[in-house]
Amino acid sequence: MIGRIVEVADDKRHLFASRGFMVVQDTEGERKELGQVPLDDIAAVIANAHGLSYTNNLLVALTERGAPFVLCAANHNAIGMLWPVAGNFQQAKRFDAQIAATLPTHKRLWAEVVRSKLQQQAAALEAAGAPVAPLAALTKKVRSGDPDNLEAQGARRYWGLLFGNDFRRDQNASGINAMLNYGYTVLRAATARAVIAAGLHPTLGLHHANEGNPMRLVDDLMEPFRPIVDLHVWQLQRIGEASITPETKRSLVRTLYDDMQTNSGATPVMVCMQRLAVSLAQVYLGERDKLDLPLPGLPLSMAASLADD
Amino acid sequence: MWVAVMFDLPVVEKTERKAATDFRNTLLDMGFEMAQFSVYMRFCTSQAQIDTYCKRVEKALPDGGKVNILIFTDKQYERIITYQGKAKQAAKKSPDQYDLF
Repeated sequence: MIGRIVEVADDKRHLFASRGFMVVQDTEGERKELGQVPLDDIAAVIANAHGLSYTNNLLVALTERGAPFVLCAANHNAIGMLWPVAGNFQQAKRFDAQIAATLPTHKRLWAEVVRSKLQQQAAALEAAGAPVAPLAALTKKVRSGDPDNLEAQGARRYWGLLFGNDFRRDQNASGINAMLNYGYTVLRAATARAVIAAGLHPTLGLHHANEGNPMRLVDDLMEPFRPIVDLHVWQLQRIGEASITPETKRSLVRTLYDDMQTNSGATPVMVCMQRLAVSLAQVYLGERDKLDLPLPGLPLSMAASLADD
Repeated sequence: MWVAVMFDLPVVEKTERKAATDFRNTLLDMGFEMAQFSVYMRFCTSQAQIDTYCKRVEKALPDGGKVNILIFTDKQYERIITYQGKAKQAAKKSPDQYDLF
């Protein structure tokens, strides 16, 4: 099912569970109820303010449902996440398979992911009216394990082509960077949920090797979906949106519900992530060979909105 | 799409009241919101989800009483005319996929 993303971005909020709902209350004055969301419908809760309080009961209820509770720092970057100890009935078996996977398998899978990311980046550039050739050429050269680090080479050209040569990707900057950070935070939460639901361990990655990163697999698997966020930010800045506002956030979150093309028809991004994570678990278990990645090309609604211009 | 569960349950005996309260609480646990007394509604994104909830409601049915399940589209939901006393209320919208508090 496609769930709802709930963000709490205002100070003075109290969150708690009541029967099947997460209830949001104002802690000022009369403790007015601001709204409630069915727990079963929540895909992720993004806690993005300083003065929040929540009950243990709520955190338990969300974790039981595999909905990550994301803790954000002041710059919208996710710094922590609460997830279940067990997310899948076969989790132990799948962890074993994941640990036992050989280096060649990991290298082959990483190449698939990089190829897919480059394809999506090329599609984003094409939609933005920038030259595609540099990235399209790289796509064909990706070898197992990406020893030439075409991913980084692609990124270097990609950012310049999409946002101009002056643009620098920066995790702490404002403007375009802040919008990208926010989009990635949402993407990361949705991917984390997919990885855990597939019974995989989020720390055991394909390629990301940073010892301080507990979400290496999540960061690996979200790569092909990043360009959709990038293009969305590009679209936003073109219509004059240059900062994080409730409207730009809402619009960025909506990328999760855009339909991408897959082997089995048009499917929302959030579902594509779930398929990708499940396919990875199946590869580890020897039930299939290839990852279930989205096909090259833009999400339908995005392509349509660009064609209108 | 929306699923509305409407029920009339006997509440004469103590056990009947208990059964009615349990049914009501089960609906709340499933994420049905009270629209009026004995009318509970839930938003669903697909037919498969509707089928699941219908099955779960069926499982939770108490012995006596009558229960109706109605299903209608977002458009039909937005066309509901609501009065509070004599005052007409604004039309409600189906929930967004993103909630900001």
